[in-house]
Amino acid sequence: MSSSHSYPHEPTGVETRKLGMWVFLSTEILFFGTLITTFMIFKGRDFPGIKLTDVYDIPFTSISSFILLMSSLTMVLAHNALEAKDQEKTRVWLLATAMLGAVFLAGQIYEFTEFYHKGFELSTNIFSSTFYVLTGFHGLHVFIGVVLLLALWGIGQRQKGLTLEGGMNLEFVALYWHFVDIVWIVLFTVVYLI
Amino acid sequence: MTKIIEPNKQSNIFKRPSSETGIWSWITTVDHKRIGIMYGYAAFFFLLIGGLEALILRIQLSQPDNNFLTAAEYNAMFTMHGTTMIFLAIMPISAAFFNYLLPLQIGARDVAFPRLNALSFWIFIFGGAFLYSTFIFGTAGAPDGGYLAEEVGWLGSAPNGGWFGYQPNAGLKYSPGTAMDYWAIGLQILGIASLISAFNFITTIINMRTKGMRFMRMPVFTWMTFAVSFLLAFSLPIIAIALFYVTFDRKFGTTFFLTEGGGDPVLWQHLFWLFGHPEVYILILPAFGIVSEVLPTFARKPLFGYAAIVFAGFGIAFIGFGVWAHHMFASAISPVAQAGFGLSTMVIAVPTGVKIFNWLGTIWGGKIKLNTPMLFSLGFIGMFVIGGLSGVTHSVVPADTQQTDTYYIVAHFHYVLFGGALFGIFSGLYYWFPKVWGKMYNETLGKIHFWLMLIGFNLTFGPMHWLGLQGQVRRTWVYAEETNLQFWNIIVTIGAFIIAVSIIVFMINWIFSKRNGEKAPFDPWDARTIEWTIPSPTPVWNFSKAPEVKSLDDFWHSKYDEDEDGRAVRKESADQMLIDLEEEGLNPSENIVLPNPSYFPILLAAGLPFLGYAVIYKSIPLALIGALFLLIGGFGWGTEPLEEEVEENLEHE
Amino acid sequence: MSENHIDHPTPKKYVQIAIVLGILTAIEIALYYTEDIVGVFTDPILIILAVGKFIIVVGWFMHLRFENKMVNRFFTGGMILALVLFAIVMIERASANFS
Repeated sequence: MSSSHSYPHEPTGVETRKLGMWVFLSTEILFFGTLITTFMIFKGRDFPGIKLTDVYDIPFTSISSFILLMSSLTMVLAHNALEAKDQEKTRVWLLATAMLGAVFLAGQIYEFTEFYHKGFELSTNIFSSTFYVLTGFHGLHVFIGVVLLLALWGIGQRQKGLTLEGGMNLEFVALYWHFVDIVWIVLFTVVYLI
Repeated sequence: MTKIIEPNKQSNIFKRPSSETGIWSWITTVDHKRIGIMYGYAAFFFLLIGGLEALILRIQLSQPDNNFLTAAEYNAMFTMHGTTMIFLAIMPISAAFFNYLLPLQIGARDVAFPRLNALSFWIFIFGGAFLYSTFIFGTAGAPDGGYLAEEVGWLGSAPNGGWFGYQPNAGLKYSPGTAMDYWAIGLQILGIASLISAFNFITTIINMRTKGMRFMRMPVFTWMTFAVSFLLAFSLPIIAIALFYVTFDRKFGTTFFLTEGGGDPVLWQHLFWLFGHPEVYILILPAFGIVSEVLPTFARKPLFGYAAIVFAGFGIAFIGFGVWAHHMFASAISPVAQAGFGLSTMVIAVPTGVKIFNWLGTIWGGKIKLNTPMLFSLGFIGMFVIGGLSGVTHSVVPADTQQTDTYYIVAHFHYVLFGGALFGIFSGLYYWFPKVWGKMYNETLGKIHFWLMLIGFNLTFGPMHWLGLQGQVRRTWVYAEETNLQFWNIIVTIGAFIIAVSIIVFMINWIFSKRNGEKAPFDPWDARTIEWTIPSPTPVWNFSKAPEVKSLDDFWHSKYDEDEDGRAVRKESADQMLIDLEEEGLNPSENIVLPNPSYFPILLAAGLPFLGYAVIYKSIPLALIGALFLLIGGFGWGTEPLEEEVEENLEHE
Repeated sequence: MSENHIDHPTPKKYVQIAIVLGILTAIEIALYYTEDIVGVFTDPILIILAVGKFIIVVGWFMHLRFENKMVNRFFTGGMILALVLFAIVMIERASANFS
């Protein structure tokens, strides 16, 4: 927001786009909150049929959870590299983050296919419906995140390189990515471990 | 002199839109004022349609055992009436006020994200069109054991499960066909529009305030916009997920709300009203804001208890999240929950009462000018008090159980949303008419409009109180002759047509005044807030230079001093100051950079209805078309800078 | 904006934080297998661990610790609102159906 000249803005000192992203993330809490609540309500119910505990594979999901967790590290390292004005390193870490995200997604697709083979389908019963909609909605977020990261990486290939200002800036995407990660921290515990 | 930077026509990839007048300039605009005006007209159009649906309902109910409509058509009409009025009329008309006024009231040049603003408008338009396309493409079959298929007809092929979409009634079994899918996905799209504008307004208020515009110096309307945006941001996600579930239940065979597969229909009610009750305050708080602007201006006194009004507004917004289950007293929730929500419902009357008394305190002892905006604001207070009081009666659980699903409820929420929200909105429409068009409306016609509407309104909704207590059931297309309900029902129908006449008077006034009205003076109402320190109609650049605010009601204090008795005395310099302000406002002395128009908001928004149809008809090609729109729009948006690079020599200075 | 970036941790610090996160995750997974030994405490401990990881990522990786108070209040406000509302819904649904 370099324009507007003498026009004052940002009395709070927080960059406007970043503020907008935080507001967005705050409402995302309610999105996931609703999904998790639904999942929890039905998790406690006694209804006949196949359950998640009959089909899941904890070691597998643990590994993919760990991968997503580590993508937060690579993301913050990319951010750090950009603050140090190291374009080369920034791009490397960005790509690493996108790759880790893609691996997580691949894992999720594999997991869903396995579950389907075991007869745990979207409309099998309330346990499967809540599971797929909840984790699928998160998967969609990861997918959008990967697209954003790759777009950012593409922008970084241009002459001007990446900045921390302007439209699609790195900090903006980084906030989103970390949020997707913390949601999974909660989901992993709520869906798989408890 | 004016120097608006000519946009560089060769943008990165696509050509920039460049027209400044004509239809393309409106389609590609990112100017908050133009978007506000478009919101206003679109919302008014839907208000007329919703009103037409209401008249159709009233014709059916004017006689006992009437057969003007079949049951199926009646279901569709009341569903569409509620949905239209809430999501397509009152909410967007409030958005029109937010858009037009918010930047002006905080002294900003535009909202924080101008293109997102255009995006939410276009999503709203496409969402509304999508919802109404159900009349063309939608089907509503006959449920097992319900009415006959031949009774459905053309009118009946619209969503028919009520605006509340209770499950399992709105599920596939009892509402077959695609009409309820249109409803679920249409609301989803409209929700996205509101959500985006909520982010935008919150960010704008926090970050775009001008010099000296501290939070506690913001006009009350801005505060209420802030509160509404919070409510939207935190309540819409809940209904979005719930509507996802409905769509999944209907299209992909899940059973979130159906007991057959272990689901829970009451959960829908929780999720719906977790959104639905804050929604009530989303509809009414903008009117609170408007009235809080109009009353001090026409009573020529400062708002009584500014801080109390602001905090009461947030109190209402906050407690508004904790009362949802009073809509569910008849839905088998536990006694503890009933008691708790009964209590919280009583509690929320307190901040509302605080506001009412503050408004009364504002007009008390003021030099009141009874112009049309003031009349509507006074009408608002009266009607809203009635609606508020009948609202408190719902907190008494046993009484509420008796009133549930009767016309008593219908009377209550129309007193709140028509007598409250819509009266406030009309007050605002008249009040800011000179600001938007630079012309004065016709005062006589305005007053005729007010009195006709007040009379028509009370004739329509007043008798519904006793009709309800006598046991007339809502959402039912006939009543038997033996019930002796026909007398008041005829009165109600007559009232509804009087309202229709008053709306016609309003439209005539609007169209003629806009074209041939007297030129508005610079400060027609001797107003208090800074949107009146600039010329009318508002120049494209709003403020020619950033205003600096020194106090609450800054404009008033620059015109008036206090004598020793605390009375306002007009400064001698005031008239000259107004002339100077007009001169300065029309001739900015510094360079002004405005965001450039863009094609991409409308392109992006156009993708959503395709995705909606794709889900309804499970069609991959349609999904691809939708995705293509999103892709092109998103890509173009991402690569197009908001404002074109300004040449170096202009950048300095 | 640039002035508050100075306080941000160094890459080394970030790696250390990530190691802590990794260890917490390992404990979580271990707890899943030792449920028979730990018994009723398993679920509370799991929730505490998840909350801990959540706070670490939000605070350090998302820099909320270093951010303006406004942002902080907004985010925590949304969080608390969600927790309270959904707790009520869950309790109500659990009690109304099976009591």
